[in-house]
Amino acid sequence: MSARDQHGLAAPHGEFQIIGKPQRKIDGAAKATGSALYTDDLTLPGMLHAKTLRSPHPHARIVSIDTSAAQALPGVHGVITGKDLPTPYGVIPWTPDETALAVDKVRFIGDEVAAVAAVDEDTALRALELIQVEYEVLHSYQDPKEALERDEPTIHQNKRGDNVSKRVKLDFGEVDQAFETSPVVIKGDYSFHGSTHAAIEPHCALAQVDGDGLLTLWSATQITHYVHRALSSVLDLAPHRIRVIQPAIGGAFGGKSDPFSLEFCVAKLAQITGRPVKMLWTREEVFYAHRGRHPMEMQYSLAANEDGKIQGVDARILIDGGSYSSFGLVTTYYSGQLLTGPYDFPTYRFDSTRVFTNKPPCGPKRGHGSVQPRFAFEVQLDELAEKLSIDPIELRRRNSLGPQTKTVNGQRITSCGFDECLLQVEEASDWKNKRQSLGSGKGVGVAGSMYITGTNYPIYPNEMPQAGIQIKVDRSGVVTVFSGANDIGQGSSSMVAYVVAEELGLTLDMLRVVAADTDLCPVDLGAYSSRVTFMVGNAAIDASRKLRKLVVGSLAKHWDVEERRVRLVKGEALDLEDPERHMTMAEAFQIAEVEHDTLGATGSYNTPTLGGDYRGGSIGASPAYSFSAHVVEVEVDEETGRIDVQEVWCAHDCGKALNPILVSGQIEGSVYMGIAEALYEHHQTNRFGLHSGPSLLDYPLATTLDTPEIKSLIVESNDPEGPYGAKEAGEGPLHSAIPALSNAIFDAVGIRLRHLPFTPDVVLRALREKRANDNQAPSPGSDA
Amino acid sequence: MLRLPSFQLEEPKSLYAALVLLAEAKGEAMVIAGGTDLLPNLKHGLFAPKLLVSLARIEGFVGIEEEPDGALLVGPMTPLARVAESELVQAKAPALAQAASLVAGPQLRTQGTLGGNVMLDTRCQWYNQTHFWRQSLGYCLKKDGTACHVVQGGKKCVAAASNDTAPALMTLGATLRFERLNEKRELPIKSLWSPDGIWNKRCDKDELLTAIRIPAQDPGHRGAYGKLRTRESIDFPLLGLAARLTLDHEGRVQDAEISGVALAARPSPVRGVADVLRGTLPGTAEFDEAVEAAAQLAYKQLRPLDNVPGSAWYRREMVPVLARRTLQAAAKGEGPVHPL
Amino acid sequence: MRVLQLEINGDAREVAAHDHWTLLEVLRYSLGLVGSKQGCDKGDCGSCTVLFDGKPVLSCLTLAASAVGHQVTTIEGLAPKPTGTLQPVLDPVQVAFNDCGALQCGFCQPGMMLSARALLNTNAEPSREEIHQALSGNLCRCTGYTQIVQAVETAVARIAQGDGASASNDGAAGHSPPDGGVPA
Repeated sequence: MSARDQHGLAAPHGEFQIIGKPQRKIDGAAKATGSALYTDDLTLPGMLHAKTLRSPHPHARIVSIDTSAAQALPGVHGVITGKDLPTPYGVIPWTPDETALAVDKVRFIGDEVAAVAAVDEDTALRALELIQVEYEVLHSYQDPKEALERDEPTIHQNKRGDNVSKRVKLDFGEVDQAFETSPVVIKGDYSFHGSTHAAIEPHCALAQVDGDGLLTLWSATQITHYVHRALSSVLDLAPHRIRVIQPAIGGAFGGKSDPFSLEFCVAKLAQITGRPVKMLWTREEVFYAHRGRHPMEMQYSLAANEDGKIQGVDARILIDGGSYSSFGLVTTYYSGQLLTGPYDFPTYRFDSTRVFTNKPPCGPKRGHGSVQPRFAFEVQLDELAEKLSIDPIELRRRNSLGPQTKTVNGQRITSCGFDECLLQVEEASDWKNKRQSLGSGKGVGVAGSMYITGTNYPIYPNEMPQAGIQIKVDRSGVVTVFSGANDIGQGSSSMVAYVVAEELGLTLDMLRVVAADTDLCPVDLGAYSSRVTFMVGNAAIDASRKLRKLVVGSLAKHWDVEERRVRLVKGEALDLEDPERHMTMAEAFQIAEVEHDTLGATGSYNTPTLGGDYRGGSIGASPAYSFSAHVVEVEVDEETGRIDVQEVWCAHDCGKALNPILVSGQIEGSVYMGIAEALYEHHQTNRFGLHSGPSLLDYPLATTLDTPEIKSLIVESNDPEGPYGAKEAGEGPLHSAIPALSNAIFDAVGIRLRHLPFTPDVVLRALREKRANDNQAPSPGSDA
Repeated sequence: MLRLPSFQLEEPKSLYAALVLLAEAKGEAMVIAGGTDLLPNLKHGLFAPKLLVSLARIEGFVGIEEEPDGALLVGPMTPLARVAESELVQAKAPALAQAASLVAGPQLRTQGTLGGNVMLDTRCQWYNQTHFWRQSLGYCLKKDGTACHVVQGGKKCVAAASNDTAPALMTLGATLRFERLNEKRELPIKSLWSPDGIWNKRCDKDELLTAIRIPAQDPGHRGAYGKLRTRESIDFPLLGLAARLTLDHEGRVQDAEISGVALAARPSPVRGVADVLRGTLPGTAEFDEAVEAAAQLAYKQLRPLDNVPGSAWYRREMVPVLARRTLQAAAKGEGPVHPL
Repeated sequence: MRVLQLEINGDAREVAAHDHWTLLEVLRYSLGLVGSKQGCDKGDCGSCTVLFDGKPVLSCLTLAASAVGHQVTTIEGLAPKPTGTLQPVLDPVQVAFNDCGALQCGFCQPGMMLSARALLNTNAEPSREEIHQALSGNLCRCTGYTQIVQAVETAVARIAQGDGASASNDGAAGHSPPDGGVPA
């Protein structure tokens, strides 16, 4: 890490003017008026519309494809198949196992086979019906256990000739010895079901090739840079001939962080037809594209002392990856690597295996790879508390890792506000008066968690900055900031504006932010791994301070005073010691421009060297970790098994809330998403290998009426390396909501739910089983 | 976006014109009311009509009137929201107001109509899907295929009647007026249903529902509707039950009735409910025991199938719970029972 | 194709449309009113909500032809017509959504704001439960609805005080935050 990467916690001068205060978003008015433009809102002259032909089989070899009738249909301008885009790609460069369209095999129902560009969607759809595909159907895998045990046929070719996507086995310390010597051991099986992002905007991409062959792609992506690289490779086109732009995006949550088939298809079809081509996926197609939460089957063992102090954790995890790798290599690591806080593990082992199955491919959904093990472990911690009769919050406190330390797997912890998070939810929820005392059917549960704030693993190895900012200054006083970061609704462009305005003493109306355009903006790796505020925020401070130095220096010379007397504040430059001496920022910029020529500055961020000294030790190594604690209060209807989540308190250590409104929004959205996936959602295939209900009716997203009261509590631990101390807030606060819910249900009705989802039928069966075990009289109809 | 198939739309302004259009089309036309069920079904490729005859502009098709004898006459194009919010309906047919208030979500209640809800197509997890999806499993008995995926080996479609208002109207003894060119008839709603999930109504597809008549209820009428669904909004019923109690001048049960929906192809009344409840006084242990007995009758008779999403076992287990809670709500003049 | 005479946001508009085109398609792709969004294709998400004579309907389940004779309001028509002042004036609902953080990705929000406006048209003092009911046909995946409900409550309070329709975005720091919008 170089000097540019650490900027301290303090405001440029004394009090913060903008940072830490509630602010509107810079795109708020555009979104309030409906004038923000999303990809499908864009129309270009002569634009064609494209549609995709998909596989109706979960696993099959393509024997032949005949597109001649489709090609001949009037109104059709281009038809492509796998042979037109044969170069494999994958967001992780080590596992390029996808192609834009199937080349020789299809691997799930919905896999892309061909694409057509036509004058309108109706014509393109008619053309799809005319494409003849002959398939040789293969045995399909729906059960990950079968995929683990059976090698023939393989879904992808690998050297081992099996269906394993990735296996990671890591040991830290003398785990077996810890289990042999610890007085308390708890073992259990847990499972997490599949869920998907369901961003309300479906994926959409639009490509245009100009007269010089320059390709521009507008896409609803959260990884402009990786799409740029993948397009170059798959289209065999130099990257400097490609421009990728992310317009306003209607939610992502990890679901738009792979390169997707439609991006390559519209680009290729635009090249072939010479006309702009747009493809908008239907909601059904979005479900097939998936990349959502991996189902995991998890065996956990926990060794502890009588005082509740953890001695060892041993995990064995089977991960259902679906049909492609996506981020799966990282997922497999994350399933183990991210569990080692906020508690001190003296010893730890995990053995995670990701297998391929013939289902829509899994990937990174909010809390990538670590929501599932967090669920299992935090429920198991509750079991430990129960066994030892220790208050579950107290148990967590006893094991708290604290700040400025290192985890068992070598992750460096800097700031840590976990104890404060526990305290805040304990007090806000009135925990002490509620636990075990709310009465029939009511209960409270707690859980804690930790998450990365970006990672020092940049997907493709390189030494260049992970985030960059360029600032351009206009004589009018307008400051334009070019940010590579993908604003996916979390407000990253606004965050950049807040930082630059703070540093340069500008008002927000003087700033413009141009983001996520590969022609105009410096590289940023994308909106994933909760990296943006930390990395891009630091880069913005870096650039702003360089620029401020130029402007302040010029003004000091101009006024013939020491630099310490020059202040830039609220859009004005002033001399602290002479109230008569002040000018607008426009004038100040002009004075600086005279001295320095055209004004601008660049800034960057790169992580320090982090992680354990072992293979994979850098995956999950983050420059800072966020911490969360949740208390959930529930009421369970013991007759129906329906769970009414009354209220959720989430305290989240985000380091420093740069805009508390946006941080609260991230916490609330995370809590909602966690509770909703636990209670309502299930991304699964049926006995035909077909998605069980690819619509927003059959895959029910919680409405206002289904969402609990959510109380967000912001904890600020002031991370020494974060921008003004900030860490992430977008993913961490999802994790512990789910185990806290399970633990609350236990407090309420005494059933231990170790397997998600908690649908009423599951809860009712568990309640009846418990009643039977308690030797109570069976309830009406329980003989069914 | 998911496309509608091509069709011609007619929006006649009179009932007569609509009947003429339907007669001329000789079965090639479909009727569109609010469109909230038909348009998704068309987008799913479940029908391919050449002509849609819209009822939206027919004069006199919207409204709720009280007839001199106290009966309610509801126009088929009356929006569900209006039925739900009508003080007249709330007072005279509470189960119907409650059921209408729980159909789908707010926008769909603005658009969806009572007539449309009565005439709703049956629903099934293997049927209400896109053409691509249905093609991938080889279609089903209800549309384009020969196999039933609910009852394997089954030869009869068991797609579920899913109209919330149907059981409410059954407990209210409603009658339906149908017309086609030169032909009118009135049919008790209880006689409308057939057990065929492909078309679960004993009327022809060119017959038009022109009015829903709810006879005047006894002064001791009590009614309520209860609905089980996944979310508290938007969703179709996983189970719906309407209950009616008629109390005598002493407040004792004189007559009683339960009807359910989202079970199999037709909404089903529960037999014998009046017998177990008759003579009991709400608020007493005796009444509670009778309600329990009625709930057990419902449990024995109403058997949800694996047609709509979710566990059929669970839906069945909820039958007695919903029956008991809905009867109790009716007795107290409360409801709807939702969420369960 | 037939030519439809529509009234949209107070403007008479003529548009040629096939009978099977939905109102949403015509708004977005024929009239350029792209503020109405398509999220689910078939009436499950509420993003395409527009007002029909002041009442919320789903434009993806409305045939374009059936809009003839109705006053259609889209998000582009939610703000009052400009009065000649240079400062843009928005509906109090829009201002409150912007102030309260309700606009994360913003995609569902045109429909959400129109549902909220429809509620306030008939109920000037809705309870929280009534707000939840009125918005229960509009799915949001970002916010957990918390700041949306706060925004509606803020709009209600400001309208009651007569100061809801403030300028859109003055861009300045430190505008007054909504009550309860900022955690302690």
